[in-house]
Amino acid sequence: MENVGEQRELRTELPLAARWFPNNEWVLIAVLLVEVVLFSVSGANFLSAANGFEISRLAVEIGLLALVMTPIIITGGIDLSVGSMMGLSAVVMGALWRDAHLPLPLAILITLLVGVGGGYLNAAIITKLRFPPLIVTLGTFSLFRGIAEGLTRGIENYSGFGENYLFLGQGYLFDVIPTQLLIFVPATVAIYWMLERTAFGRSLYAIGYSAEGARYAGIKVRRSLTVIYTLSGFVSSLAAVIYVAHLGQAKSDAGTGYELMAITAVVLGGASIFGGRGTILGTVLGLFAIVILQNGLRLSGLPAELAGIMTGFLLIVVILFDRYSKSASAAPAGADTEEEFEVKNSQVGIISAAIILTGLIIAGSNWMLVRSIRDNGSAGSSEAKNAVQNTGTGKKAVIAMMPKAKGDPYFISCKKGADEAAKELGIELLWDGPTDLDPAKQNEVVEAWITRGVDAIAVSVENKEAISTVLKKAKDKGIKVVTWDADSNKDARDFLINQATPQGIGETLTDEASRIMGGKGEFAIVTASLSAANQNEWIKYIKQRLTEKYPEMKLVAIQPSDGDRDRAFTETQNILKVYPNVKVVMGIAAPAVPGIAEAVKQSGRNDVKVTGLSLPNMCKPYIKDGIVDSIVLWNTVDLGYLSVYAADALVNGKLKKGDKTFEAGRLKSIEVVDDEVRLGKPFIFNKENVDNFDF
Amino acid sequence: MSEILLNAIDVQKSYAGVKALRSASFELRAGEVHALIGENGAGKSTFIKIVTGAVEPDRGHLEIAGKTIAGNSPTISKELGVAAIYQQPALFPELSVAENIAIGYEHGGFFGRVDWRARREHARELLDRIGARIDVESEAGSLSMPQQQLVEIARALGAEAKILILDEPTASLSEDDTNNLFRVIRGLREQGVGMIYISHRLEELPVIADRVTVLRDGQTIGTRVVKDVSRDEMIKLMVGRELSQIFPKREVPIGNVALELRNFGSRKAGVKNINLTVRAGEIVGVAGLVGAGRTEFARAVFGIDEADSGEVFLNGVPIRNSHPRDAIRRNIAYLPEDRRKHGVILDLPIASNVTLASLQILSGRFGLNFGKEQELAAEYTRRLGVKTPSIHDSVATLSGGNQQKVALSRWLLTKPAVLILDEPTQGIDVGAKSEIHALMTELAGEGVAILMISSELPEVLGMSDRVAVMHSGTIVKVLERDEATQTEILALALGHGAAAASS
Amino acid sequence: MLDFRRNKREISAAVAYLVLLAAVGGVAPSFFGAGNLGDLVINNAPFLLIAIGMTLVILLGEIDISVGSQFAVASVLAGVLAKAGVPVPLLFVAMIMIGTAMGAVNGFLVGRFGLPSIIVTLAMLVAWRDGLRWVTEGAWVQGLPENFQWFGLGQSGGQLVIVAIPLLVFVVFAWALRNLRIGRAIYAVGSDAEAARLAGIEPKSITFGVFALMGGLVGLAALLNAVRFNEIPSNAGIGMELKAVAAVVVGGAAITGGRGKLPGTLVGVALLGTIATALTFVGINPFWEKAIQGLIILAALVGDVVMRKYEERSAEG
Repeated sequence: MENVGEQRELRTELPLAARWFPNNEWVLIAVLLVEVVLFSVSGANFLSAANGFEISRLAVEIGLLALVMTPIIITGGIDLSVGSMMGLSAVVMGALWRDAHLPLPLAILITLLVGVGGGYLNAAIITKLRFPPLIVTLGTFSLFRGIAEGLTRGIENYSGFGENYLFLGQGYLFDVIPTQLLIFVPATVAIYWMLERTAFGRSLYAIGYSAEGARYAGIKVRRSLTVIYTLSGFVSSLAAVIYVAHLGQAKSDAGTGYELMAITAVVLGGASIFGGRGTILGTVLGLFAIVILQNGLRLSGLPAELAGIMTGFLLIVVILFDRYSKSASAAPAGADTEEEFEVKNSQVGIISAAIILTGLIIAGSNWMLVRSIRDNGSAGSSEAKNAVQNTGTGKKAVIAMMPKAKGDPYFISCKKGADEAAKELGIELLWDGPTDLDPAKQNEVVEAWITRGVDAIAVSVENKEAISTVLKKAKDKGIKVVTWDADSNKDARDFLINQATPQGIGETLTDEASRIMGGKGEFAIVTASLSAANQNEWIKYIKQRLTEKYPEMKLVAIQPSDGDRDRAFTETQNILKVYPNVKVVMGIAAPAVPGIAEAVKQSGRNDVKVTGLSLPNMCKPYIKDGIVDSIVLWNTVDLGYLSVYAADALVNGKLKKGDKTFEAGRLKSIEVVDDEVRLGKPFIFNKENVDNFDF
Repeated sequence: MSEILLNAIDVQKSYAGVKALRSASFELRAGEVHALIGENGAGKSTFIKIVTGAVEPDRGHLEIAGKTIAGNSPTISKELGVAAIYQQPALFPELSVAENIAIGYEHGGFFGRVDWRARREHARELLDRIGARIDVESEAGSLSMPQQQLVEIARALGAEAKILILDEPTASLSEDDTNNLFRVIRGLREQGVGMIYISHRLEELPVIADRVTVLRDGQTIGTRVVKDVSRDEMIKLMVGRELSQIFPKREVPIGNVALELRNFGSRKAGVKNINLTVRAGEIVGVAGLVGAGRTEFARAVFGIDEADSGEVFLNGVPIRNSHPRDAIRRNIAYLPEDRRKHGVILDLPIASNVTLASLQILSGRFGLNFGKEQELAAEYTRRLGVKTPSIHDSVATLSGGNQQKVALSRWLLTKPAVLILDEPTQGIDVGAKSEIHALMTELAGEGVAILMISSELPEVLGMSDRVAVMHSGTIVKVLERDEATQTEILALALGHGAAAASS
Repeated sequence: MLDFRRNKREISAAVAYLVLLAAVGGVAPSFFGAGNLGDLVINNAPFLLIAIGMTLVILLGEIDISVGSQFAVASVLAGVLAKAGVPVPLLFVAMIMIGTAMGAVNGFLVGRFGLPSIIVTLAMLVAWRDGLRWVTEGAWVQGLPENFQWFGLGQSGGQLVIVAIPLLVFVVFAWALRNLRIGRAIYAVGSDAEAARLAGIEPKSITFGVFALMGGLVGLAALLNAVRFNEIPSNAGIGMELKAVAAVVVGGAAITGGRGKLPGTLVGVALLGTIATALTFVGINPFWEKAIQGLIILAALVGDVVMRKYEERSAEG
């Protein structure tokens, strides 16, 4: 055409800002910078190379999921099944290796194929039957996890993998670089390449904006979708392989809840859930915004729950920001208005950044304020005692203590004792851990503590295999390590604060049941989740005790409660109907017992009694009613108290190998056997004594 | 003189910097059918949207039922008795026919009760009045397009609209249905309803309309009494210049047969027994009414819908396109009818849109070559004169004509041997339109075989070497350039091939 | 009269459910004992409220995955209020208001700003849950007043209330959704928001209202669930959102909006609420529960396709 002459100069170069940050990813960089600045002030050793690498190790599994979620979200889809696929893959790999005796590389290979198969199943239903990915993957979300649980009956826990394999998840290259980065970094580059540098990737963006329009341009929409959903399954499997190497165990609960984390990272990174927009850079930034937030809060000794609140807040700010910058650019694109709305765009950007910044600063300063008040308070009140008791060292020890799950009432009562001891000793107590049972999170917390540089770590271990490596690392760094409540491998800690062995618990529970039933008849157990490691251990000893001592007692059912009181309630109702001859229902998770008791109470069955392992306060009304005959537990407050005392004594050298006793505050002299500090036998709470306890 | 129902004076509206309405004035009286005509892109739809409150005008005076309207909204206009039947049916696909009709006439608070029996009976009655036999309990989404349109008419009837807007209501109706509709319209006229009647079928106007107002380039050119104005005058008012001026048709050497279809058909697309040849350098126009299967035919050739009968030859070699990809690989290109949905991807940058069908030529060893992409995109944007500050702006920021040029650039970049253009100039401004026509001529000169589907008869007549006329899913006749006339084509398109031949 | 054609999705879900029940009954007749059926109804009644709300949200073409976290917050607040001595009737009002307020946050962000509901509610899912954990540190609400459990009506009286309210809400909503203009407006917005706007319906307000209503129902459900016990855990409702979505989808609603009926949701709730119990009765290992849940969702989808294909064929032939 000849009429080019009258046209304004055509810009063909893409401005640098638009090339690198097509979706305002710079906002996230700003957020990250703010996070880094804040946390390097508030967090101990936050700004160190080692912590940097550690953060990236923690980000690998979720990061892989987020990476493959990005192209899916760009096409306007979603994959909720990735976390469940991790669970299925972990279990398949474990079973192939241990039960089918396949060599590990072959087992891994087959596992990856399972991932491909699962991803293809999603793809086939989505593209062939044309259903929304949300619903399809909601279905496979249940299905994959369900198959994993069904195959292993929940209890299987594959561990004992070889050193070479574990190196993949736990080792270091050149002493600093976590091994799995060798997979993560190339995977990031590869997916970046696929998405942003190839024709295939370009076609995904087109599909996201308009699948129909893409088809008219000759893009094979169905085939493209099939590829990315299949890839998603494959990478989920790969993430599982790394996860298992990281934790040293393969269980059906691997990757629980990871799908939402991955989606959060992607959306935070500027991808539009409606499709069409998103970059790998954004996803990686989004991922690190979350991970650094968690890590930083941890190193600052702030509650980890703030991470969730902040993440939610950030998510909404980011999409609001996106919304407004987008409506600005949808304004008329006449030649004259061009400059004007660019200004607008950046104004919106600055305003939003300012909002985020102030939000973070206000929040940050508030926490620090709160924290300093708390510190002063505790320091002030215990200064006198501190002077008396800690004259020898003169330094204020930092003891970090971790429960299996922070929200669990059992551990909350332990914390009570721990706080008491910390106050008496005038030490700083860090109390942190997973919000729900999550072995991976436990490792993460310990890693953070190592980085932070604490004097002693006390852990209630969720998973032996998983945590032992990192505890050993802590020991190597000169940190004293004790385990309490549940043990790690012996060589990974200095002392175990032993309230009771699994065997002791199992036997006492069985004995109690036998006493109530008169040594014969049927009983049932309501456990935590079917994959809960501790509970499965106890059940093992209960069964053993039954065969050895009580052949006339029959365990007819083991039902899960998922640590949910209401679920325990329903399951008990079922047990009472399906097994009418059951005389005792035993709850072996703290929240389960009140649920069981309420179900028995409502059924009006006076001939059924409840026993189990729970907290006195939770069960008090039922114990008084006579529905709960007895519960078995140790004094959890004392357990927490003793653990802190033992850790402190270790730090001060007052407790060493070979000691026979040591003085633990109000508990007086405590027996030490070999490398175990003994709290004493499990205690049986009943109508008569329950009022004497408050925890 | 009867009461003035609607008075619009000097209404203006721009979209994305492009003036859709420069100065539209329109007056509607009770009991008249007032036709609104103009070329595609003249601003008719925008004007309608302003009357119904779907969009707000930038400036101008609007008076409905004697009330000056400041901020119009769908609710306000509905309350004042405005009802519209759009080109694209605006029904709720998941809801029943009865409910779709009821939503038009039911008023009152959200906590009002729904009387299903009355709804059904009323819907049946309304449908009976326009002689439509449609089950009132079926889902609207399961109806055919003409049926949906009838439901919309019934809905407007039910709303007892004082101002009824009919946007090309007869476009996809059969002759019987059309006559039926006219009967309904006359009935409404007697009841004092004022109707704005938009149609491209100028021959309908003497039959149904009282007055006619012509819009051109967003401006009201004039209002006439239909009786006093001839068809040619109307066209002249609409177009504003002589036909020959607009169409830069040039004689170019015609080459070998590029595309040949023998008994071609597709059950899915609803086309059958199509026989057609297109030669290199030739422009073959495809005419027919909406619903005659023109777009469906193009889709089947391009591989969007699967062809299941007959044969296709490309340069004498039999081919089968089961996906657009196959067609593109064979240098067949298709510029679709629905530009915004299919022609371009609105939110993608111009550059990506241009290269979307030819990404393989950008793929090197190191992935997509962005430099080359920029070069090619810039080259084509310049060549087609796309008015944009940057090739990295999204296509959504462009005006309709420029969007169409981007869509066209995409296909030119694939170096097509056969180019199928489906309504290439629909809804774009006059300047861009003539540029596209010039480009077509240029391409034909380069030896591209062009198949052009168009509803605009002047365009078909002005641009084509031959004209294929379609009726109910097949090509009824192919006319040579010198034997093609508007009446001839129209007669064939309406299914009156024999009658036209004898007259 | 039940018209199969108009209710085919709901009816086929119901038929599938009946077949499942028959199979369970064949293996374990005791499943149909009055006591068991009663317990099933009581246990699922509060959840029905949430599924009703989710149906409305999905009818709009939106989704709310924050309901589980809202449920936990509301449960704890119910306990706190009861402990503070708020009388029972006022407790109902307070809980509905608290829930509505939480829902209104979603509604505001989705309706007013047009943000994608899945992201907004994902953010809220995390924020409410972690906020609650931060405040309660996992502690349960204990030492509730005597008249909290069963509203002080005794077990059978309380159970009656727990079942009656959701059923009443169900009947009212099912009726209103079909017979009130507001109900039809929800369908219209979900079917085509722009067409609804042109028809004089305000999609933004409807969206806001539905999310707020969803919250109110969550508040009510939390209260009804809480009074079945005399302590309130702070970790309630985990995974509830996906279960609610599944129940609605299994009940025949389209996730894209505009299509679905409350009776279908009732079947969906019944189906998902029965599986665990049915498995126990039949003697299938509970480990397979999740897998079966997933299969049911996928089967519902496949069933829909089969039905569609069949229709197309019968329409052609």
